[in-house]
Amino acid sequence: MKNFFIILIMKILNLCLKICGKHGGNFLGKIAYSWNPNIFKYFKVHCPVIAVTATNGKTMTNNAIGYVFKSAGKKVVSNIEGNNMETGILSTILKNCSLTGKIKADYLVFEVDEGYVPVVFKDFPLSTLVILDFFRDQLDRNGEVETLILKINEFLKTYNGNLILNTDDPNVARLGKANPDNKNIYYFSVEKYDFASLEQKEAGEGKFCPFCNTRLEYEYYQYSHIGKFRCPNCDYGNNEIYKLATNVNLKERSFKVDDITYKIRFNSIYNIYNLVAVIACVSLYNIDTNVIKSALSNFVLNNGRLEEVSINGVPTIINLAKNPTGSNVSLRILNEDDDEKELLFVLNDNLADGLDVSWIWDINFDNLNNVTKIVTSGTRAYDIAIRIKTSGFDASKIEPYLDLHEAVESLYKTNTKKYVIANYTALQPTRKELKL
Amino acid sequence: MKELKILYLYPDILELYGDFGNIQVLKYRLEKRGINVEITPYSIGDNPPNFNDYDLVFAGGGADQEQGILAKDLIKYKDNIKEAVNNGVFFLLICGAYQLFGKYYKDVEGNIIPGLDIFPYYTEAINDRKKRCIGNIVIDVNLDGKETKVIGFGNHGGQTYDVNTPFGKVLYGNGNKFRDEMEGFFLKNVIATYLHGPLLSKNPELTDFIIKHCLDRKYNENIILEPLDDVFENLCRKQLLDRFLSKEKKP
Ligand SMILES: [Zn+2]
Repeated sequence: MKNFFIILIMKILNLCLKICGKHGGNFLGKIAYSWNPNIFKYFKVHCPVIAVTATNGKTMTNNAIGYVFKSAGKKVVSNIEGNNMETGILSTILKNCSLTGKIKADYLVFEVDEGYVPVVFKDFPLSTLVILDFFRDQLDRNGEVETLILKINEFLKTYNGNLILNTDDPNVARLGKANPDNKNIYYFSVEKYDFASLEQKEAGEGKFCPFCNTRLEYEYYQYSHIGKFRCPNCDYGNNEIYKLATNVNLKERSFKVDDITYKIRFNSIYNIYNLVAVIACVSLYNIDTNVIKSALSNFVLNNGRLEEVSINGVPTIINLAKNPTGSNVSLRILNEDDDEKELLFVLNDNLADGLDVSWIWDINFDNLNNVTKIVTSGTRAYDIAIRIKTSGFDASKIEPYLDLHEAVESLYKTNTKKYVIANYTALQPTRKELKL
Repeated sequence: MKELKILYLYPDILELYGDFGNIQVLKYRLEKRGINVEITPYSIGDNPPNFNDYDLVFAGGGADQEQGILAKDLIKYKDNIKEAVNNGVFFLLICGAYQLFGKYYKDVEGNIIPGLDIFPYYTEAINDRKKRCIGNIVIDVNLDGKETKVIGFGNHGGQTYDVNTPFGKVLYGNGNKFRDEMEGFFLKNVIATYLHGPLLSKNPELTDFIIKHCLDRKYNENIILEPLDDVFENLCRKQLLDRFLSKEKKP
């Protein structure tokens, strides 16, 4: 009975929040979880539960999966705002369940923080888990990526649901061996694209085989440590691929899977990986390919994740970059674009960003393509200016401003195309300054 | 044309904290002055280097488990390294590399990873996660009679003991141990420190001290380095020193 009352109180609280015009974030979940950490057991779920986890790309992939299901006329409950820890997911469930804990939906789709997969799904059913990538984040520079992977690996040992894995990330593909009895493992991949390289261009993980410690061999790198790898000693890396993207054309914004051409709204290799994961996932639920095709051709994100906008008529591309890989992805898009452009990089060192900004030295600023000016801002505007200068970019074309308003003003002195990169706590203030 | 030769140890393993930036800063400040720089990476499986052939040896910090693997490799060069240190080759050692050059490193489980035993200090990991030394650091350093403040970022669990000749006096943040007053280890031609950031990115005076030291030794002269445009560096230093030394309280 206790849970019944918890949910009742949360419903009332939610109503109050709504009246006050507040969204609440993970507030409800926080209280409910503190009252009963076993509350996840109470819910009655009669539909598939899908979870997406990764270092980068969770929000986009999660939202795209939900979008495809919705386009197919299904009712989806999802934490699209990105509250992805146990309390955030609980908040989403609480808002969408009956007092008896029944969740009315055709699909539950959650993005889940890498560290919280074992916590959330200890007592909650899981039908499909999608894992995109594991990179080093700026917050856990203690070799904790490995600890994280081992925790998920432990969880997967007894998991028999669908597991959708990026076969080109050695940190992810290894999880396909966690439970040899699980027959529901689906690997996805993207064929070598035009800007793939023989040498690793950006800092990454996955240098050694997780099974025998031999140095991995790469046929090519797509970006960071994502690419076609193989262990010369134990043959790790040789997986049967369930969904493969071919004919990647970033200019046309299209690719093919199973001979069907998908037109999309994104133009980076990193997004293609995410979207192939989406296709692999929804195809397990027999969604019509025409529905997928049309949904993906419309799907966009408007929250500063590769957001494309026009500001006073000046085309502007904004991307969140919390870590080197996120920044390198943005710079890849910038470098693959031959137009003249100016860059704004906003770097903060608040607690939520990680106090250490040395990760900016893992960003590859070499040979920026047709960038005529760089403005830097944030609490570490000078650090990032020094970083960019040291990479060889002409110092006289770099303008650092601690004040974000001045930075944006300087940036829009010309009508040249803009790229904006901001880290975690810098993103919303930057969007606000851009009047978004 | 003058040239400096840098040996860069284990770039693919000791790369957790952006320490590679130190090499980039050195290269930048050398090339801006028309001095050639040759950077030779060495990692497990490569041909053995002769440390005496280089003007500067650099190594950074890495993840604990990988550091254990390379300790075994590095120890093969112990005598050669000792010789190079005595010959005056400059060693710049950050974090994990700092620890490796001491007597030993004792990990959380109590296992002892023997170090090169070239310098008299030793390091012991602490179990208490709250005492991990993480945060910005400012230290007062004396570079051949010239006082300067060095800014960086520390992130280490190991506590280093028995340092008789520290690199600097802590003005803000942690030192060799949690809340220690002394940071790093300093001999004429050796700087070993916990400071990331990367260290040289915000400390042009220190960088030039190292460069001058290496050039003077190699070309047997008292070189005066051509000044560079350090506007960003100076603004950065002013901003951070103001922030750490006046506004924020000692953590
Ligand atoms: Zn292997």
